[in-house]
Amino acid sequence: MSSSEQAPRLLSMTLNGRVRHDAVGDNILLLDYLRETCDLIGTKQGCDGGECGACTVLVDGKSRLSCITLAAECEGKSVETIEALATNGKMSALQRGFHEKLGSQCGYCTPGMIMASEALLRRNSSPSEDEIRDALGGNICRCTGYVKIIEAVQAAAEELS
Amino acid sequence: MTELLPAFSLRHPTSIEEAIAIHGSAPDARYVAGGTDLIVNLRRGIGDPETLVSLNRIEDFQNIADGKDGGLVIGAGVTIANLANDVTIRTRYPALRVAAGEIAGPGHRETGTVGGNLCLDTRCVFYNQSQWWREANHFCLKHQGEICHVAPKGDFCHAAFSGDLAPVFLVLDAEIEIAGPDGTRREPLSALYTGDGMDHLTLKPGELLTGIHVPANTPPAAYEKHRVRGAIDFPLAGVAVALTKDGDKVKTLKIAVTGTNTSPFLVEGLEAFTGSTLGEDDQAKLADIVQKQVSPMKTTLVQPFGRRRIAGAMARRQAVSLLAGG
Amino acid sequence: MNKPIDRTAIGVPTPLVDGVEKVTGQAQFSADFYPNDALCGVIFRSPYAHAEILELDLTAARALDGVVAIVSGDDCPHTYGIIPIARNEYPMARDRVRYYGEPVAAIAAIDEKTARKALSLIKMKVKELPAYFTIKDALADDAILLHDDKPGNIERDVHNEFGDVEEGFEKADLVREQTFKCAEICQTHMEPHASLAEWDDERAQLTIRTCSQVPYYVHLMLAHTMELERNQIRVIKPFVGGGFGTRTETLNFELIAGILARAAKGKVAMHLNREETFLTSRTRPYTEITMKIGMTKDGHLTATYCNAVQLGGAYAGYGIVTILYAGALLQGIYDIPAVKYDGIRVNANVPPSGAMRGHGTVDSRHAFECLLDEMAEELGLDPLEVRRRNMLTVPTDTMNGIKIMSYGLDECVDKVELESGWKDKVGQLGPGRGIGFACSQYISGAAKPVNWTGEPHAVVNLKLDFDGSITALTGAADIGQGSSTIVAQTVAEVCGLDIRKVRIIANDSAITPKDNGSYSSRVTMMVGNATIDAANHLRDILLVAASAKLDARPQDIEIVNEMFRVSGGQDEGLPFQEVVEAALVDTGTITVKGTFTCPPEFQGGKHRGGAVGSTMGFSYSAQAVEVSVDPDTGQVRVENVWVAHDCGYAINPLAVEGQIQGSVWMGMGQALSEETRYHKNGMPMFTNMLDYRVPSIVESPPIHTYIVESIDPNGPFGAKEAGECSLSSFIPALVNAIYDATGLRYTELPVTPDRLVEAISKKQHRDRVAAARAAEATGAAE
Repeated sequence: MSSSEQAPRLLSMTLNGRVRHDAVGDNILLLDYLRETCDLIGTKQGCDGGECGACTVLVDGKSRLSCITLAAECEGKSVETIEALATNGKMSALQRGFHEKLGSQCGYCTPGMIMASEALLRRNSSPSEDEIRDALGGNICRCTGYVKIIEAVQAAAEELS
Repeated sequence: MTELLPAFSLRHPTSIEEAIAIHGSAPDARYVAGGTDLIVNLRRGIGDPETLVSLNRIEDFQNIADGKDGGLVIGAGVTIANLANDVTIRTRYPALRVAAGEIAGPGHRETGTVGGNLCLDTRCVFYNQSQWWREANHFCLKHQGEICHVAPKGDFCHAAFSGDLAPVFLVLDAEIEIAGPDGTRREPLSALYTGDGMDHLTLKPGELLTGIHVPANTPPAAYEKHRVRGAIDFPLAGVAVALTKDGDKVKTLKIAVTGTNTSPFLVEGLEAFTGSTLGEDDQAKLADIVQKQVSPMKTTLVQPFGRRRIAGAMARRQAVSLLAGG
Repeated sequence: MNKPIDRTAIGVPTPLVDGVEKVTGQAQFSADFYPNDALCGVIFRSPYAHAEILELDLTAARALDGVVAIVSGDDCPHTYGIIPIARNEYPMARDRVRYYGEPVAAIAAIDEKTARKALSLIKMKVKELPAYFTIKDALADDAILLHDDKPGNIERDVHNEFGDVEEGFEKADLVREQTFKCAEICQTHMEPHASLAEWDDERAQLTIRTCSQVPYYVHLMLAHTMELERNQIRVIKPFVGGGFGTRTETLNFELIAGILARAAKGKVAMHLNREETFLTSRTRPYTEITMKIGMTKDGHLTATYCNAVQLGGAYAGYGIVTILYAGALLQGIYDIPAVKYDGIRVNANVPPSGAMRGHGTVDSRHAFECLLDEMAEELGLDPLEVRRRNMLTVPTDTMNGIKIMSYGLDECVDKVELESGWKDKVGQLGPGRGIGFACSQYISGAAKPVNWTGEPHAVVNLKLDFDGSITALTGAADIGQGSSTIVAQTVAEVCGLDIRKVRIIANDSAITPKDNGSYSSRVTMMVGNATIDAANHLRDILLVAASAKLDARPQDIEIVNEMFRVSGGQDEGLPFQEVVEAALVDTGTITVKGTFTCPPEFQGGKHRGGAVGSTMGFSYSAQAVEVSVDPDTGQVRVENVWVAHDCGYAINPLAVEGQIQGSVWMGMGQALSEETRYHKNGMPMFTNMLDYRVPSIVESPPIHTYIVESIDPNGPFGAKEAGECSLSSFIPALVNAIYDATGLRYTELPVTPDRLVEAISKKQHRDRVAAARAAEATGAAE
């Protein structure tokens, strides 16, 4: 172990639209910060580092693996998690698509899958099937065979268009 | 709850000079950019730095700019995603775009950097494992151990270099710029690699890869990556080919390979193909030359025999395709 | 007689009743429960493959500040396991460790850092023993025994013969035999294992939240290993992130969490990482299968013989059942007059295998369907035609004592033939492209549970109260497959109610009735039938209440759009709420119960092991797979899949499709990229999601899914299994397609690029040699 224990530092970021200031150690992963400090348990851990995509969140609107991102690297940035997508109590188009098309079975990969899809739709509102596959390439789902995930993203894109 | 990372101090210099200074003043410091590989290794108990010098707030490090010689200077801090999406790259160096687009998954590409991919730690199935695993296996030559489990009789680490960008930069004759306590230097990319899986980079303490110079007029090039899945996987073999022609004949041919050896490397002995139309015999010869120079070991669960053949085949068919192309 | 109502809640695509929580991030999985006062639980795992424990020194770890409790094998002298007669595993090893990663001790500490530090202070002295990681080594004459009571390191051997196999092979015009090697496959559910165990020391009670498919069995094993009365334990199953079989038996970490919480007199959160989750997966075992088939020249099967050897791992687990399944489901799909089976499950120093989707049957089906394809070609017959000539006629009893009441395989074959364009494709797609075909079947619930009590197979309670909504209480474990939705749909359908007025409370042993759990595709069949029974009781009560108000006989009343009215009458009728209030007057809150019991005649043959394979109904699947093969790289690309699945009746067609697609795709992983491997020293080489290659979305194919409904008389509304069967037919269909594309019959799984490219290069060499010889011969003849 290192000789010195680092005292937590004040970390400021915009999390799901609200500015937060938390005392966070330099060696804390964004995933643990979200789940343990902020109680945002929607973001999941599925592997031992960057292999499955379950922990995907948005940092400044881009898809990011929170299990291999240091929380302190998000200083001053905007972080969004699955909890932020529903507005006024209604599911977002992607959430509705995943729900109604059964793009989610057990639901464990779902938050990461939806956030990766969200990143895609923000930069490309009418993606082709290949573009959907490419954008979700880092997100493993073990239930669906991905067929209905593609349908879910397509349904959401259609709803938004 | 993930595995705890060692207690390091994270620093955020805003210039390369400041980064080098911090690195020099902290006794046990490491540079980190995207962290997509380093953080995973730290989670696994590989390394215990006291200070991480983050390069993520050094702005001019993250640009793609025109070079003085008409080429391009790619900052080492450019993310893989930005490289893949850059219009100049797409139009002038499409092989780079292909290679960048096939790295890992989108989340990695958004954070991982060009410099990180060129400096990527070598990989081995006996090394990229948890602390418990490596300890139960008596560690390995690359880290904390005495023997290489891939070739237990030797004293050489066979961990394979697995970055996708290097072979493309190699066939494009790219040069790298290095900054360090003793100033900056520029040299061919191939000089970055030692050929040893254990300490695979020639960087001296405190030195830092800052940029890549790609020449203005590069030959048409292509990259093909072999992996089992369509995403996430590191290359089991990745082959870049650059070819200029004279009518229907080869004028110059360059081939570089990643994923099979301890370093990415330029295949030797290709001058023989100058003047060739790459008929069937020459194609076989070409594949054979590549097969002989790649030396995949059991650093992954995928058998070396197949990887060797596949590397040869990918080189052959890309060369043929480039020769046929307009 | 009440007029049959139009089906409104079943047979229509229905999003999951617990789906909103999943897509909004509100769904709480076991690791999402982490109270502030919970301790961090970690497991000390064996760094040896096989060793006698001489000394386990916990003193330094115990002395560390912040360590609250340490437990080891000494704290639990009881073995656990799913099969009552084969419990040979301790939650934490005692005396001996038998695989890398086996739990030896566990620590509860105030935080993770302390817990991990304490782990490093545990010292274990051992005497290493010879260890075996392959079938051959474990079976060697001089191998030492993993378990003294299992001579030859054979966990279980099974031998049976139905009909006269020798005679069958004699009658055949063509007899072929082939050996297949199928890699070990891991479930790799997305949620790593996790439990929160809370010990209330004042009351001596344990509450555990855990990611199980079988919370009832976890309950039994906690009571057994912790020497508690069952009433001292409460097991809650939160949202579970998949299972695919791993979680169909109690796993060591759940028991350790309980033991540790009691020792710590508090709450312990036990979160396994992905590596540990891989090591704690009861995988589909590595299997070597020799299949022999006899066939007449017109394609009729005369006999089959199957020899299966499974690398079972260090402990019994589900293994007895796995090796029985590998033989039992040779029957029940085609008409074969004689079937012989020899199966061996071998003990070795690797983590114990167990039940994975398609339990035990997948590799045998693969071998059979591949060999059938080869023989059809040899006889010049179309592969589909061969299957058609051997169809069953139902109802029928198999030779191994299984009743089959419905059979939609013929329709599945027709559908796939048509939709895939089979006739225009097979053998005609040109070099590097091919199409292949195969069939499979699976049970709809094991008719005899492993833990036989004589109780009904399933119980469902319904509560109806003043608010006019129905609460269904079920112990059925929804792990994503949609079982809670089936229960809600069924209640809504029978009671004529909007599905939104049906609430599901599932899987809390303090509240919900016992259920055996989600395994063997039993839930729709058994819990579905129990739900119908319960809903019928409730409906009867409501009809009687309505009849008094409507002044009509109950049997003349119908429920339409939540209105009770006299059939054929013009009156608008009574709203549901009014009838509920009338029904409550005499009794107050109404609770009813429904049960389901498999009749004895469906519980399997009388032979030893005959209960395995017994079921109330077989589902069937036919599948065509189109591939392209890159001969340079050995890369197989699945271009399209057409699958038809006879699920009896699709109560929720949306979930049925999802289940079929998921199983087809999981078959693709097994066929092309997934494998669990061990280094020659026994180290597990697959314990991360880079080396264990679950397919990504990029290379996953379109799956054209067709539902066939044969309406099984036993099934709820005619329904049968939907979630396992189609895995098995994918794999042989793919391998047969590779043959069509390359002329190579590949007998090992998975067909990874490196393997295929090696096989292709060997074939090219053989072809060249043969061509050269032929040329030489021609030259000589001239």
